Amino acid sequence: MSAALLNSAAPTHASQLDIAADLLTLLGAATTEPRPNNQLEALTLAVAADLPVLLWGEPGIGKTAALTQLAETLELPLTTVIASVHEPSDFSGLPIVGDDPAQHGVPMAPPDWAVRLVRAGRGLLFLDELSTAPPAVQAALLRLVLERRIGSLKLPPGVRIVAAANPRSSAADGWELSPPLANRFVHLQWVHDHEVVVRGLGGTWPRATLPRLDPVKLTDAVAFARRAVCVLLAARPKLVHQMPSSDARRGGAWASPRSWEMALRLIAFATAAGSSKDVLSQLVRGAVGDGPGFELLTSLDRMDLPDPELLLADPTAAELPERGDLRQAVLDGVVAAVRKRPARARWDAAWALLVLAIETGPPDLVVVPATTLATLRQENWEVPASIEQLAGVVSLSQRADRAAELVRERG
Amino acid sequence: MSAPTADRNLDLDKLFAARLYAVRVRPYLATALFALHIVASRRVPTMSVDRYWRCYVSPAFVDSMPVEELAGVLVHEVSHLLRDHHGRGERFAREHDLSGPGERLRMNIAADFEINDDIFGDGLVRPEGAILPADIDLPPGKLMEEYLREFRFGTYTAGMAWLDCGSGADGLEREWELGPSGADGLSEQERDGVRFRVAQAIIGRPGDVPQGWRRWAQEAFHPPQPWRDLLGAALRAAVSTPGVGEDYTYSRPARRSAGVPGVLLPSLRRTPPRVTVIIDTSGSVSDTELGSALLEATAISRAVGGRRDLVTVMSCDAAARIAHPLCAAEGIPLMGGGGTDLRTGFAKALRAHPRPDVIVVLTDGQTPWPVAKPSCRTVVGLFRRAPSWSESDSEYVPDRPPEWARVVEIG
Repeated sequence: MSAALLNSAAPTHASQLDIAADLLTLLGAATTEPRPNNQLEALTLAVAADLPVLLWGEPGIGKTAALTQLAETLELPLTTVIASVHEPSDFSGLPIVGDDPAQHGVPMAPPDWAVRLVRAGRGLLFLDELSTAPPAVQAALLRLVLERRIGSLKLPPGVRIVAAANPRSSAADGWELSPPLANRFVHLQWVHDHEVVVRGLGGTWPRATLPRLDPVKLTDAVAFARRAVCVLLAARPKLVHQMPSSDARRGGAWASPRSWEMALRLIAFATAAGSSKDVLSQLVRGAVGDGPGFELLTSLDRMDLPDPELLLADPTAAELPERGDLRQAVLDGVVAAVRKRPARARWDAAWALLVLAIETGPPDLVVVPATTLATLRQENWEVPASIEQLAGVVSLSQRADRAAELVRERG
Repeated sequence: MSAPTADRNLDLDKLFAARLYAVRVRPYLATALFALHIVASRRVPTMSVDRYWRCYVSPAFVDSMPVEELAGVLVHEVSHLLRDHHGRGERFAREHDLSGPGERLRMNIAADFEINDDIFGDGLVRPEGAILPADIDLPPGKLMEEYLREFRFGTYTAGMAWLDCGSGADGLEREWELGPSGADGLSEQERDGVRFRVAQAIIGRPGDVPQGWRRWAQEAFHPPQPWRDLLGAALRAAVSTPGVGEDYTYSRPARRSAGVPGVLLPSLRRTPPRVTVIIDTSGSVSDTELGSALLEATAISRAVGGRRDLVTVMSCDAAARIAHPLCAAEGIPLMGGGGTDLRTGFAKALRAHPRPDVIVVLTDGQTPWPVAKPSCRTVVGLFRRAPSWSESDSEYVPDRPPEWARVVEIG
């Protein structure tokens, strides 16, 4: 090789380019490592659920790379359209004049990429840089997203659409969704992970393992999703419709019957895919907004908790949650159930549950339920023998009382 | 689970009595306090938390503190987690290129300042050694980020070097911590859930919650956006609506029309927006705020294509003092005093030929507004005022800015 280099003292352009190509190959050779990626998982599920997704993210943080990976996983050909370099007629169709416009009308011809997409019957359409396109282009694009029409063409059901926009603080010119439009998208925040970027530049990019829908779980997933949304909305009618009022929340997700239906669909998909609560959280909040989304997730946590009535029916078989705050919620629920329908047997069962809680966990969170339960006693009810085991609770409570006295004296 | 790993020497009863006492005096923090997973550790100096809601406790520290002070420490540690100090510290460190243990300690101190100045009192004793901003002559009531900008290590911070609230306070993992893969940590969604429930509990009990916590609860899931971003977004949205700025128009044929004879295609035309800024404010608004709001408005309208001569400023007499030099320096035409009544300002701005596309009003809101919607978009920059205005005349309530204006609160 050294001889070859010596021979060609004046290297030709071609050989220089060959060397450059070698260098580029070396630079391009990167390995991948599996790494869970919640935002990509959320995006995959929303796309699979056939809901229009809007990715909010600063330019240059790998939205396109993520879309490429998504297309590979879903085995869909990817079509990227940079919205800001197109004219409105590219999306609403170019008018083609025939012989007799009065007789035949003027057909609106779609652009070539749309024709190819429709011919393929399936694909992932990525509308990039939505926020830097002029308003008329955006208007034409929104028709494409919402009605799935390009000129006279209708996109087949196999085509999925994802759009991307820059957050308005960094957008060069203003683009803001009006509340009705914002309500039709699943809003996903796209942020870069510092560690991933550093490792990637070092030669190792993450390879996300993406969710697969489990055909066995489908029926249960639908039932679960319906129950999750209905349990919450039955208890909190106010959450059904919440138009964003403050300026800071404009253009984002908000709760309405439409977006709750989207949330329901997303819950079913996340359940069928066995996704984590973190992914579900991104999806639900992306559909109905942060506040209602958190309420739904909290209500889901409560749905996972054991039913107070079942616990009262058979306290010996009870299994209380390990986490302190959830355990306290269960005990409160049990006491509330006794208060609602007081009966001697139920009262005794509740004491048995409190004793169980003392035996298996910290005593301080039993104090309030025990005090409340004691006040529910009716005249002819005898104090159960097991209550002796709650002595520790009493001394704990007294200790706290003493601390209170000390503070009062000091104060 | 809240029961700690076995350690015979940790006085659990004392710790639980302290937690019970803390829950009694701060019922709205019950969920958070019970969600803490307590881990006995001999390596931790006092008590510290990690971001997964584990609380590491030194047995010796528990022995040395009275119950009522331990309660204060528990509330202090849980406040680090609720206020997301690790996440905020991490972001601050990245933005300002801070690294090293010294900076982490400084973050811990700043976070402690933010917490300690408003959680104690009203039944909760300030534990011995808890530092206050007043200790180094800083004002109370600020955020961690603000304190971080205001002090460096010096002689008076030397005594604070024993502080260590763990990675939950500053984001840096300690050797005694169990890390993300350790047992009994809370996942991101669970952490959000706990914070959300606490915020709901605070919002649901107006009255007996300190101001600092109420502010936290309101902003926990909707951090306020800086007014510059909001004003910018409002202005950009106003000048990029159809008819203003850069958009498609049928008034001239597009260049593409040559390809489709006989068809009118819209062409991209630019009509630079005319912006009139009306300053209507009394002298009590801070000069710097007014000045920067004025500069911000003109800078944005120029960024979206407005020419210098298309930006006009009108001022009432009190504000002229600020507007004059700024407009002279920027080469912006300044129109004469509009009086103190905003309605005359509007009338005058709309009489101009050609009419402005957007009117930006910088005002403190103590003014009558035009009854009818003006014929152009209106953005109102509203200076927030201290509630003291009502003292002189409690009957006087100024009108809120009308519905048709986009209102951005400044300051």
